[in-house]
Amino acid sequence: MKLTAHPELLELLAASHALGTLRGGARRRFEALAREQAPVRAAALVWQSRLASMTELQSPIVPDAAVWTRIRNIIDAEKAQHAIERQRDDANARAAAATPQPQGGWLRSLALWRGATAAGALATVLAVVVGLNLRDQLVNAPAVQYVAVLSDDQAAASMLVTFDPKKKQLVLQRVGSYSEGSDKSLQLWALAPGGAPRSLGVLDNAPALRLAASESDVHQVPTLAVTLEAKGGVPPGSGPKGPVVFKGALIEKTI
Amino acid sequence: MPDNPPMTAPSPDAELMALIDRIGHRDEAALRQLYDRTAPKLMGLAMRVVRQREWAEDVLQEAFLTVWRVAGDYRASLSPPLAWLGLIVRSRALDLLRRRTADRAQLTQEFDELMADTLESDAPNPADTADASEQAWALHQCLSQLESKQREVVSLAYLREMSHGELAEQLKLPLGTVKTWIRRGLEKLRICMGRFA
Repeated sequence: MKLTAHPELLELLAASHALGTLRGGARRRFEALAREQAPVRAAALVWQSRLASMTELQSPIVPDAAVWTRIRNIIDAEKAQHAIERQRDDANARAAAATPQPQGGWLRSLALWRGATAAGALATVLAVVVGLNLRDQLVNAPAVQYVAVLSDDQAAASMLVTFDPKKKQLVLQRVGSYSEGSDKSLQLWALAPGGAPRSLGVLDNAPALRLAASESDVHQVPTLAVTLEAKGGVPPGSGPKGPVVFKGALIEKTI
Repeated sequence: MPDNPPMTAPSPDAELMALIDRIGHRDEAALRQLYDRTAPKLMGLAMRVVRQREWAEDVLQEAFLTVWRVAGDYRASLSPPLAWLGLIVRSRALDLLRRRTADRAQLTQEFDELMADTLESDAPNPADTADASEQAWALHQCLSQLESKQREVVSLAYLREMSHGELAEQLKLPLGTVKTWIRRGLEKLRICMGRFA
């Protein structure tokens, strides 16, 4: 069929294509025609442009002032990074001009590598010390049966959760700088396979927190998650309503 | 502006384009001015796509960093400036939704409830045409002629890049209903937009 002989159909196909609801084989056939026939391509582009204006028509919402601060900080950091690279390039160029023999470059890079190695070694030492401290705490803590380190979407550790079977309580310790704001609450959930998320309690703003729990609450629960909810958490019996902010595997200690 | 016919509506495009040109020349003050002028509008768009304030603010941040990096390419796009900014925001927002798919799958129920709310609010066309291009004003006029449910599914299909099947599933509507609403909505848009061409 010659699509250009059916202008209304052409327009509807072009509109569906731009809307995104033309899918699969129909989409591929339409796109093939658009590549071959300029009027089809033109109709497709006109509708893409028309529907793109939908992005202009949404009701405004004032963002938090922190958003601009974050944008500016990132741009400042990029500029500083570029300035450092430029200085290093300039210095390299000057040094190369001053010392024609290749040794200078090699020595400099050796010094650089020494610096990098020292920094790496220091980071390793710090990591080991932190790791030992953390492990000591975990090993020496009385009657810890389950442990979970919940991370945020950047994989940064944000909350340490332990379960003490003797006191029948979950102990939660915040380790990141996350703040949910005064009008929100964090809520802890057990995510069991094949079941709905089960609330283990609502967290307050304290850096450390204890929630009453029995072993059946955490037994065979592979994952814990924390969601951001309205102040006070969701109504009892309801599932999570807000986004997941942290999650992590719950591990049963065997030593 | 809304009470003027589109041909004579004063256009803020020239001002926004001048700002984008300056940003292309690494003018940070221009970026700040563009942010002040357009951030609430673009935040509204981001919220509409991702629905969570924290996520929308991440999208806004990413979008303005993208603008900072690619503003030099703006002129070649031949788009009205706010539409160009809107496409960047929509693209970043869809990226974020794709990254969060795993989390969303766990919380599908919550998502469905939110979507149902969207449809139940049988609100009048909430569009805000401040700073919008002539083309957006025309689209606004034409969308206003759709029944609110038609307008809603057409908008969601576009802004969230959802298929008939995804819309039907998440709005809890029969697939045939979604297809009919979208077909009728597009048919009306076709006739109406033709008058503005």
